[in-house]
Amino acid sequence: MPRHEGQRPHPARSRLVALAAFCALSPMCTSIASARPIRTADHGVQGHGGGGSGQGAGTHESHGGNSGGGQGRWGGSSGQDGGSGQDGSGQGGSAQESHGGDSGRGNSGGGNSGASSGEGSYGHSGGGGDGHGKEGKGSGHDQGQEGGGVGDQGQGRAQGGEGGDRGQSSGGEPAGAPGESSRGRGHGDYGRGRNGQGSGEGSGQTGNGNGIPRARGRQSGSKTSSAGVSHTASNSAPRAAAALAVVAPPAPAATNGAAAVPAVTATPPAAPPAAPSAPSAHVPAGTSSHPQPASRARRARRHKGRSVGSHTAATTALPSVLVAAPLAAGAPTGAGSGTRQDASRDARHTGQASTPPPIVQTITKIVGVIPLAVWIAGGALLAIALALAAGSRLLAKRARRLERQRGELLADVGLLQGALMPAPPAGPGPVSASVAYRPADGPAAGGDFYDVFALEDGSLATIVGDVSGHGREALPHTALVRFTLRAYLEAGLSPREALRTAGAVLERQLDGALVSAVLATYQPRERTLVYACAGHPPPIVLGTRTLAPMGACSSPPLGTGLPTGTRQTVLALPGAAQVCFHTDGVTDARVGQDLYGSQRLAAALASLGPAASAPALLDRVAEQTDARPDDMAACLLSLQGGPAQPATLVQELELWGDETARERAERFLLACGLDLSASAALAGKACAQAERVGSVLIEARPAGPGVGAPSARIRRDEEPDIHASDTRRLATVGGAR
Amino acid sequence: MLKRSDTSASQASLRPFAIYKRELDERASVVSVEGELDLSTAPRLKWMLLDSLESEGAQVVADLSLVDFMDSTALGVLVGVQRKLAADARLAIVCTSEKVLQIFEFSGIDSAFAIFPTLEDALAHVRSQTAQAD
Repeated sequence: MPRHEGQRPHPARSRLVALAAFCALSPMCTSIASARPIRTADHGVQGHGGGGSGQGAGTHESHGGNSGGGQGRWGGSSGQDGGSGQDGSGQGGSAQESHGGDSGRGNSGGGNSGASSGEGSYGHSGGGGDGHGKEGKGSGHDQGQEGGGVGDQGQGRAQGGEGGDRGQSSGGEPAGAPGESSRGRGHGDYGRGRNGQGSGEGSGQTGNGNGIPRARGRQSGSKTSSAGVSHTASNSAPRAAAALAVVAPPAPAATNGAAAVPAVTATPPAAPPAAPSAPSAHVPAGTSSHPQPASRARRARRHKGRSVGSHTAATTALPSVLVAAPLAAGAPTGAGSGTRQDASRDARHTGQASTPPPIVQTITKIVGVIPLAVWIAGGALLAIALALAAGSRLLAKRARRLERQRGELLADVGLLQGALMPAPPAGPGPVSASVAYRPADGPAAGGDFYDVFALEDGSLATIVGDVSGHGREALPHTALVRFTLRAYLEAGLSPREALRTAGAVLERQLDGALVSAVLATYQPRERTLVYACAGHPPPIVLGTRTLAPMGACSSPPLGTGLPTGTRQTVLALPGAAQVCFHTDGVTDARVGQDLYGSQRLAAALASLGPAASAPALLDRVAEQTDARPDDMAACLLSLQGGPAQPATLVQELELWGDETARERAERFLLACGLDLSASAALAGKACAQAERVGSVLIEARPAGPGVGAPSARIRRDEEPDIHASDTRRLATVGGAR
Repeated sequence: MLKRSDTSASQASLRPFAIYKRELDERASVVSVEGELDLSTAPRLKWMLLDSLESEGAQVVADLSLVDFMDSTALGVLVGVQRKLAADARLAIVCTSEKVLQIFEFSGIDSAFAIFPTLEDALAHVRSQTAQAD
């Protein structure tokens, strides 16, 4: 590459170089930066970036002689913030190369890379005389972006950098980067958000600058600029402000204070001038026209590429930088002299070594600012969250386990329930049976049981009972009583005999629990229903003849210690009939404050008609009641009609030879419709016989349709039971007591 | 469908449950019950009666004349108390309600108790029997 040096020996160039150098150096090498100490603090990272660029510039310059390192700055500028300084430098470098020609290269701003990316642009110089910067362009990444300025110089001029415009955007003010021409000018540009940065630089020849602006860029930019300025100016300027100043001494002041905005403003004016003269670039420094720079900057932006390089332009650029860079204040003075590639290298290294990625930095900063209290609070919240999470997990696990166990329990209960409440025998026949069970509304469930099964002689046996006490306490007794009763019926005992025997046998096992039950057998051939109750409501019989329940001398429940199984009813039913066995839970259900009662139950059954079933009946009861404090069980036998048969109704009472026998016999006979004298006579006779043989059975035929006058008699033991079928029953369990 | 008798018969069953004891002397006491004796209230009758029957030669009258309804649980309580009665203790029941008497009758345990229509009759019964026992 041709060097500008030869061509342009201007002081301006040298200045530029100086700027560039210092730019590069300033950040990095304090020493180099003659004058000032770097403000590391501010720039920090940025500084580095700047350095990088600077170097590039420097190189050129050195080579070129003049070209300035304006760029350097830029780079620098960008560098700072981003920490990307390095990148910045890189660019700078390239820029320079391009310059090779004469111009300074712009640096592209290396700045850009700074943080994000920037890229710089580079100006490149023009061929011989001018370089022109290429421009940079910045891509800004993060931040604003920067633009790279480029300038070319034609020779003299540097090109302007262009500003990173974008950068500005972020920053608010962009700096224009104007190319700078020879002296640097920088332009800077962009600042991204923070400071503006712009950088200007001039380079000897060309300048170009591009600024890359990054956020970081700004500071450095400014610094650089300042540096540049100073050089140009003569070195003195070390301040950040200086950057501006550099270009134009006056600027400095402005710069410092200036916010990004100001910078912008400044730029405009400057722009024009910048553009124009390439050569001027060198001069520029000297000229330091404030206004111009600004205008250039603008242009730079516009064009992006080229700026011209007047110093002024550079200056202008600076302003922007300044703006961006208030931070930069500390700016390094750059010593122009200082510029060396080496320096720049160092800068880079440093930058690299010391600066972590921007994101990391940002995070680090944010984290660093968090108060201890917040940390503690955060820790506490985290601990609480973890504790809650763990707790909820445990609860969920427990809930799942409990749910599973509950399911298993329900399954077990279902099996038990099924065992206690089997389905009735199916199949068409002269009699059909249906059963239903409805648990209580409250916690009192359990205790009811039923069974329907066929006997060997073709009879259908039915058991419905209720164990006092509820729930699991009642379950063992429920099963015991149900199967005991069933066994006696299976053995051939009549319902009354089965109850009597079971009462005697279960007394001890029930341990105080009371069990009410109703047992029934229905012989289809004879159409005879036999049932016996023990402390249990009698069945409701609906047919051609309505049977009024008779409570006199009812048998006590099982488990009372009293003899039971003393009463039995034999009923021959002509025509179709329905027989409903139920537990007291049905009749004790409430309608408001009233009991549902057997009359309402009979009405409900009648309303269901011939197709009635136990489930339908209980549903109807549930509809008609407000509260059902006890379990409800029902067993419904639907008896088909057939040829008319004489209706038969026989009430049986077994009398024991005890002190109450006579009184009971009289009550029973009176209830069956016998007159007082007949009752007393028969009662006396029965008692005498009972005392002699232990017990007697009184059969009474109440008055009724087709029966005539009520009658009663004492049945002799040798007589077969009226309900006995053709087949002789198997056993004679529990003989007379 | 509802029969008039059902409706009218149930008009009186609005009495809240109450139970209290009057001690007539060292041995005699009257346990009065009002309202319904069912699964929830029967236990109170049970403990009250057992408490009254603790003393030696207790003469206890259970006045159920103001009871509107008894279910099988209450019957079980009465049967259980009756069966635990000490040899020298006496228990009598006063019951005037036809409904309750019917419940006793259908349950078949009426023969197990000494049931009287008036408190005086019941007291005379327990005192005479105690006297005889003495």
